Amino acid sequence: MKRIIIDREKCDGCLNCNVACISAHQEGSNFYTVNLQGVDSETRNFIKFDSKTGYTPIFCRHCDEPECVLSCMSGALEKDPETGHVQYDETKCAACFMCVMNCPYGVLKPDTRTRTKLIKCDFCEDKKDGPSCVAACPKKAIEVKEVSL
Amino acid sequence: MKIVIIGASAAGITAAKTIKALDQATEVVVISKESIIHSRCMLHKYLDQERDEQSVSFVPQDFFEANAITWLKNTRVLGLNTEMKTLKTDGNQEISYDKLLIATGAAYFIPPVPGLREATNVYGFRDLKDAQLLDAECRTAKNAVVIGAGLVGMDAAVALLKRGLNVTVIEMMDGIMGLQLDEKSAQTYQTLFEGQGASFLLSEKVVSVDLDKAHRGHLIHLASGKTVPADFIVVAAGVRPSYDFLEGTAIQTNRGITVGDDMRTNIQDVYAAGDVTGLSGIWPNAMKQGKIAATNMLGGSALYTDRYALKNTANFYGLTTLSLGNINPEPEENCDVSIRQDHKNYQKIVSKDGVILGVIFQGDIRNTGFWQYLIKNKINVSGIDKSIFDLSYADFYGVDKETGEYHYAV
Repeated sequence: MKRIIIDREKCDGCLNCNVACISAHQEGSNFYTVNLQGVDSETRNFIKFDSKTGYTPIFCRHCDEPECVLSCMSGALEKDPETGHVQYDETKCAACFMCVMNCPYGVLKPDTRTRTKLIKCDFCEDKKDGPSCVAACPKKAIEVKEVSL
Repeated sequence: MKIVIIGASAAGITAAKTIKALDQATEVVVISKESIIHSRCMLHKYLDQERDEQSVSFVPQDFFEANAITWLKNTRVLGLNTEMKTLKTDGNQEISYDKLLIATGAAYFIPPVPGLREATNVYGFRDLKDAQLLDAECRTAKNAVVIGAGLVGMDAAVALLKRGLNVTVIEMMDGIMGLQLDEKSAQTYQTLFEGQGASFLLSEKVVSVDLDKAHRGHLIHLASGKTVPADFIVVAAGVRPSYDFLEGTAIQTNRGITVGDDMRTNIQDVYAAGDVTGLSGIWPNAMKQGKIAATNMLGGSALYTDRYALKNTANFYGLTTLSLGNINPEPEENCDVSIRQDHKNYQKIVSKDGVILGVIFQGDIRNTGFWQYLIKNKINVSGIDKSIFDLSYADFYGVDKETGEYHYAV
């Protein structure tokens, strides 16, 4: 499967990945028109900063054994057997957020405005150039690579 | 090989799906008393009419056909012969198996209170059938009473309020959701429910129920002497594992079917998973047990080691809460309790000697998944030089350079 491989040393915390993710999921926006103050301004990837360890990129792994899928009581989260990516169907979700509780890396979150849906990386499956965050990273700290399951 | 699975909820369905994903050739038969597959965590969405019978399912409508699984619905298992490896159904069918998974779940429990068990308008809130019976009551009733203010009771209350009923919740403990919340976080939810019209009678015990000529309970008497009128009653006072049909077998039980880490019972080729084991009452753990049992039935060697079950989330009226572990420590436990709050959030972290024992996050539960890992693995965080509230997975970050998978570097 394809996974976003992270080289933490290369990350300089510019947050272009955040902006790209928000824009990719905000209808009609691009890097220049993205509304970061909008109620739908939600990033699916996170950069943590610590004065000792520097920048730490935290991105959904679409895990081999996804705990989120194994906690979903509505069938909204499924690992696609073809792509290996964990996809989310908003129409099925009942917003219990047991997936948020069970993600060992704390990647998942409810939507801030309504708390009725999950905010989760979809690998920009609808975009021909792949994940928007990867395309936006000026340091190549994140790259899409083929990994064996 | 032929695998028979009894039960079609979290554990049973996950097992069936796992078997077919690992080996298409294995014959799988699922037996369930239900005729509609449904997620019990969504019953309140059926009762409040947001969802119908199809949309409370957690599998696609063509699940059994698409996976070539035989489904015997509306079927109860009455008995089991583990030597002949056969089971008998209420349709007088005898079904053979090579391997058997018991995933019959649990059934609600009605306390032995005079009148309560005899009344014809007392319901649990466990299966779709219960929600359907309640739906029928909602069409004519005005006053609904919920006994038990745990998560199930509050789910029922939400739906009944939305149906426009007067809802009274009776609870023995002094706060709602006493297993998941502390005083402060419970009060916040209680206020939200009261804003929707609910009444609460806390620290109260039901002592008897008066029945009318039709044997319907219409007046509830409490230990304090108070009385509450009811058109119908929902009992959410806990569940008991369902394994009556094991009578006469040598399968070991102890408030649940006894299983090892591999989900095997003491009898060859018989496995159990989900609530019937009594190991946990929450959906994710049942799914995991079902998956592990399935793997092992096919000759694999998976173990149920991630047993942590003191975990839950709640989402009522747009207020989300994560609750993990010991959140109400006794004074003699000498725990450190850290609290941080603002007008939208309440956060509580219970720790002892640098090890987190429990947390409540009410309000913003973004990115809180890592806390469970810290608690269940007793990770010592005292060496990390920052506020305990600022911890994140980044403080334990480990990544495999080849596969890109994360792990905990501790």
